[in-house]
Amino acid sequence: MAARFEKYIAYPIGLLVALFIFSAILLVMGFNPISSLGAILYGSFGTIFSAGETFVRVTPLLLSALAFLIAFKARFLNIGVEGQLYMGALTAYLVAAQMEGLPAVLSIPLITLASFMGGVAWLAIPLVLKIKLEINEIFPTVVMNFIAMFIISWLCTGPIKDPGALNPQTRVIPQMTWLPLIIPGTRLHVGIIFAFFLAFLMYLILYQTILGYQIRAVGLSSKAAKHGGINLSKSILSVGILSGGLAGLAGMVEVAGTQHLLIEGFSPGFGYQGIAIAALGGFHPIGVVLGSIFFSILLIGGETMQRGDGVPIDMIHILQAVLVLSVLIVQTWITMRRRT
Amino acid sequence: MTEIVEILTSILSGSVILSTPILFSSLGEIYDERAGVLNLGIEAIMSLTAFVALWVAYSTGSYLLGTLAAIFAGGLIALIHSFACVTIGINQLISGLLIITLADGIANFGYRSLPVTPTIEPLKPINIPGLSQIPVLGPILFQHNIFVYLAILFAIIFGFILYKTTWGLKIRGAGENPVACDAAGINVNRIRYLCVILSGVMAGFGGAFLSLGYIGLYGRGLAGGRGWIAIIVVILSRWSPYRAILGSLIFGLGYSIASNLIGIGVGVSQYFLLMLPYIIALIVISFMFKRTKGPSALTVPYRRK
Repeated sequence: MAARFEKYIAYPIGLLVALFIFSAILLVMGFNPISSLGAILYGSFGTIFSAGETFVRVTPLLLSALAFLIAFKARFLNIGVEGQLYMGALTAYLVAAQMEGLPAVLSIPLITLASFMGGVAWLAIPLVLKIKLEINEIFPTVVMNFIAMFIISWLCTGPIKDPGALNPQTRVIPQMTWLPLIIPGTRLHVGIIFAFFLAFLMYLILYQTILGYQIRAVGLSSKAAKHGGINLSKSILSVGILSGGLAGLAGMVEVAGTQHLLIEGFSPGFGYQGIAIAALGGFHPIGVVLGSIFFSILLIGGETMQRGDGVPIDMIHILQAVLVLSVLIVQTWITMRRRT
Repeated sequence: MTEIVEILTSILSGSVILSTPILFSSLGEIYDERAGVLNLGIEAIMSLTAFVALWVAYSTGSYLLGTLAAIFAGGLIALIHSFACVTIGINQLISGLLIITLADGIANFGYRSLPVTPTIEPLKPINIPGLSQIPVLGPILFQHNIFVYLAILFAIIFGFILYKTTWGLKIRGAGENPVACDAAGINVNRIRYLCVILSGVMAGFGGAFLSLGYIGLYGRGLAGGRGWIAIIVVILSRWSPYRAILGSLIFGLGYSIASNLIGIGVGVSQYFLLMLPYIIALIVISFMFKRTKGPSALTVPYRRK
């Protein structure tokens, strides 16, 4: 019981450290930290609409974090979530644009499937390199991110650009392909339910199925898992498909749920934030749900802080990094002390 | 004919220039990894230090102060990484990725908090007397700013120290066999600390080059993947500072071809040209990364039993 409690003490400590540094920087820069924190809270939950916005943002964050998480469980470091997200968004857009006149019950599942496959396709090269040639996945996945960004930029400024738009973006997708809204007066769409469901599903897969057991075994010790008769290639392939697919879905919810078109550089780094969220959530699906909500509060509230108090939203990224680093440091320190 | 020679000269000269930030950062990362610690934060440390260099040089008018501030900032942010990974022992990969969020956040926050948009004229090239007059070879090799020569000099010094001195032996020992190192009375974690800080300092040189020696301004994500490329160069050069010169040049060439062809206008979308260094990276990884074996204790924290 004491051990369980100790594990969680890192969170309040980390939060205190992060808030301390946040306030210190703002004071030095001549801002009022209390007012900024107030703006964050009001901006994220002050009205029905802003609360809706907070959960709109949770959706891609949660899916990105789950994408990183499932791969990390088998110690496959998919740093390419950002690129896969863009490719999922692209395939979702391309399919949705063809769906004029089709009923939503047909078009939305098709778009979902397309985005899943788009994400997986973008992870295919790193995955094959890993399984066939045992090449570490970190660098191929990162490189694919950059290539994805350039492809999206090329498409959004050229072949699929809306000729009527000034900005690099596509036409709006047919209304039948938009994810249905669930709360009137907000932009909150059904994607959030879908994301929560997938988080729960991942919990079941990881902790209640043989596949999940194998994935975790590979993550703890690939050698031991191999001796225990677990097929390493198959486990890596499974997490790869799930990870790339989830990243693709994160792109889909942005296109079909929130923006209804594809915009160059639309992701403010969802894929990278997913990594921080997965770490903050202790690499556990339920922890990741809470982590995404917390990150979303900071980001959506941070936009209000930026508008109202003039504090650049980048302050939020500093706060997030300090928070997660502090939590990990305290957690590791506690485990280290107990062992010695 | 002369036009083609001119373009080729421009491309090759550009590849020397554009290999410089990659070389600086990969040298630091080589020491860091040789000592057993991976620093994935390089990419953002370069952006951050580019901003710091620009800001300090802009406000003081001194390129030297700008560079010093950049390497100080790089070392400082790397210190956080070494505390997290060496003293505490959190996952080095995760820590490096969080350093990216942190360093990018600080750089962008700082930039947007400034009342002005700092710009600076990039450092002028120093023509090496005599050598710079050689046709073709002169412009390619001997008409660059101080950073370019400094990077090559560093590579040679780094190689010498790593292979020919006791320091180098200790560094390699800390990454290959920390237990034996410890038994021989060497403070493994102190070496690791110094090497991690060095990786930040060298990324600081890379960042300072980008803003003071090349672009003259700051923008979000300024490093543009060069930090990641630097870590790829480390593996490609098999953790050798000498080979890192060659490795950086390969990618310098990719960046240079892209920027030259965009300048000329060849009828291909610029985005395909910008992709070139990353396509090269993907090819390099696919064909050169098989069975690479890094330092044995890379990413493994060391604790006395």
